[in-house]
Amino acid sequence: MIEVMFGSLAGLLTNGHTMGLMLLAVMIGLVVGATPGIGGRLSIALAIPFIYGMDMTQGAVFLLTMHAVNGTSGQISSIMFGVPGDGDDAATTVDGYPMAKKGEAGRALGASITASGVGGIIGAVVFAVMIPVLEPVVLAFSPAEFFLLAVLGITFIAFLAGKGQIFKGIIVGLFGMMLSTVGMDPQTGTARFSGDYLFLWDGISTVTAVLAVFAIPEMIALGARGGSIAMMSSQNVTVSYRQLFQGVLEVPRHWWLVIRTSIIGACIGMIPGLGGSAAAWLCYGHAVQTSKTPERFGHGAVEGVIAPETASNAKEGGSLLPTLFFGIPGSSGMAVMMGAFLILGIQPGPAMMTSNLPLVWTLIWALVVGNLIAVTFLLFITRWVALLTFVNVSMLVPFILTLVMVGVYSSEGQWENLIVLLAIAAIGWGLQRYDWPRAPFVIGLVLGKIAEESLHKALGLWGMSFFWRPLSLVLIALICATIAYAVYANVKGKTVMPAGAGSGAGS
Amino acid sequence: MEGPVMKHVSTGALVAALVAVSGAAHAQADKAFFSGKTVTYIVATAPGGGYDTYGRLVAEYMQKYLPGSTFVVRNMPGAGHLVGTNALYASKPDGLTIGTFNTGLIYTQLAKHSGVKFDLTKMSWIGKAATDPRAVIIATQSPIKTWADLGKMKDQQNFATSGPGGANFVETLALTAILKLPIKMLSGYNGTDDQLAMRRGEIIGSIGSRSSFEQFVNNGYGRFIGQFGGGEKDVPQMAELVKGNAEAERLVRLITAQGDIARLTAGPPEMPASHLAALRDAYKQSMEDKELQARAIKLEKPVEPLYGADVAKAVAEALNQSPEVVNLLVEGFSKGK
Repeated sequence: MIEVMFGSLAGLLTNGHTMGLMLLAVMIGLVVGATPGIGGRLSIALAIPFIYGMDMTQGAVFLLTMHAVNGTSGQISSIMFGVPGDGDDAATTVDGYPMAKKGEAGRALGASITASGVGGIIGAVVFAVMIPVLEPVVLAFSPAEFFLLAVLGITFIAFLAGKGQIFKGIIVGLFGMMLSTVGMDPQTGTARFSGDYLFLWDGISTVTAVLAVFAIPEMIALGARGGSIAMMSSQNVTVSYRQLFQGVLEVPRHWWLVIRTSIIGACIGMIPGLGGSAAAWLCYGHAVQTSKTPERFGHGAVEGVIAPETASNAKEGGSLLPTLFFGIPGSSGMAVMMGAFLILGIQPGPAMMTSNLPLVWTLIWALVVGNLIAVTFLLFITRWVALLTFVNVSMLVPFILTLVMVGVYSSEGQWENLIVLLAIAAIGWGLQRYDWPRAPFVIGLVLGKIAEESLHKALGLWGMSFFWRPLSLVLIALICATIAYAVYANVKGKTVMPAGAGSGAGS
Repeated sequence: MEGPVMKHVSTGALVAALVAVSGAAHAQADKAFFSGKTVTYIVATAPGGGYDTYGRLVAEYMQKYLPGSTFVVRNMPGAGHLVGTNALYASKPDGLTIGTFNTGLIYTQLAKHSGVKFDLTKMSWIGKAATDPRAVIIATQSPIKTWADLGKMKDQQNFATSGPGGANFVETLALTAILKLPIKMLSGYNGTDDQLAMRRGEIIGSIGSRSSFEQFVNNGYGRFIGQFGGGEKDVPQMAELVKGNAEAERLVRLITAQGDIARLTAGPPEMPASHLAALRDAYKQSMEDKELQARAIKLEKPVEPLYGADVAKAVAEALNQSPEVVNLLVEGFSKGK
């Protein structure tokens, strides 16, 4: 075992061709990740034509590294412009963007880049450790548990909305859940709230909704305000390596949080069907919940950046597990990846463990090495990237709006999504203008879909008795504890979170 | 360079004119028309799946056999292939837009679904690349070993389906109704959800394309107990298993047709005969290309082609169903329970 483990690492590092491909994959992955709307799934699909004829290991390493580093650069626009790349990054926006406004873009980027790198590496470790217990863990999660996990995520809304904001938070969250019902109802086969528009049958696109609620209102506010994103002149603040390094150091300072959120992220990734946004939001909620000073969240708390970033990168290692060993993809990105694996001649299934162990280890190492390269490279260039927050917004806003629209169109190739973008952006702008929280909207939209679908399945399978499954009881206890704590904190007058929290808008 | 091309073009134009004048049934292929043109190949799903793989393979080789042409693959996912197929049907019939979509739309059209803005019998059929038979699959841990065992079960058996309107929903509903099977249908199982649910034990079986379950079975998680058509000999044919029940036989024939004409390529109706002939020629040459065959086998997507008029005939036959079957399909699309 040990021999195979380190033999694979040596094989990976000493093969110039593979390393070259990996470098290329890291660069492509970072660029794709940094562009809003173009996620990992699309990038793998676009890369498939190029892997024909590649060697099995090299092709797999190439695709996996490209996919794995996607999330690492996705946060750049979330933090600097309040423009998340997709649902996963939206959680980072909540605290990352206020940090940039305070002129701390360097520190936020340093922390988040390091956090995602570390998360990716811990995810790979979890991957390796979990191999023997993969089967019982994955099979323990049925639609009943999916439903309760989604409900748990939704209850975190109570923490994302602060004192006096709880009702606003619930209203916004319900609005998100309402929009999640748009589209084909899987139970009755009727198209809900879709009229004759076929593009609505697949539901509201998450990428479109997230960009509409976060990106467009920020751009409007910025354009109206003028100046630069960082609300101080660049003379006073130097985006130096020192500031960046301070950010990097935040990760070891919060090592216990990093480890917890990485493990939660990897485990969520391991369970097919929950998705990356769930991982990021659950971990963000977890960070707020366990913080001694939750009132700082939403105003630029560095933990609010670290938690979702570690989680969303750690889940990559997790979601590779069922993909490789069950032949059941752990995420939508992995579903495309599995198609590519077949092209390369890799047969996912339990036999991977015996017949292809060196390849499995090579992939684990590729996750580790790829993340290290990405983090080093990003930290090196961040100093210049962070300077963009001091650029006059009249130059930034049109550029970013264009990128947003290109992203919305290309994520699904449907122009109608541009209209949806405008419609939801109007609501998002209203929320931002009147200081309502916006994060609950995304949570409602993403988790509402999972909750509805799995509730139907669970009721169909077991009726009401699904609540009495052992794991269900544990989750129900967690949900009750979360609600009780939120009520207690509210009654006691302790600010769970101050006004404006979760809106990502400090002004 | 210019000389031969020009000559081709003029010959082509002449031939086309002659065809138009004589109204000959067998149009001459006008390959020269495609030189310097861009052909859009619509794939009615997102990138990455089986349709996408076949589509890209077909497009790449058709480009090779239509010299001077450029094929661009365009993914138009949405509403279970309806978005892409509607767009393909409505496109300009100049031979420059063709595409691929799910054969299961035969059911959708039969059920007179409101989202259907096409008539499959009128499309310009170019060919089909594969046979992908449907099969009934049962989880390994279930005591059901054969089709007969399923009928004898005392309790309701949980079967996974994607939901009303989905191919496996329609098939399971119709089979259960006609044969009075002890099956409880559960909806919302998309992609590989059903495989995971079978491993967890909450789902006993499902109907799906054999290719998508092949690996699952090879890994020892399930077994096929019946198959609709296809060349494999290791699984009993459903046509044999339901012999004697005329209505069930008709239904099995319909499901079989669905698998027989998998991975098809078609264009909008009323395409100029010379352009269609050229596309059909190029398609046939692609399918016979040894390199394409080798690549398809490597992808575990073996090629079993059928061309032009034969595909059109098979589609028309499948769409010619008795009112009883049509009623079952309408029911399968309209309500869940």
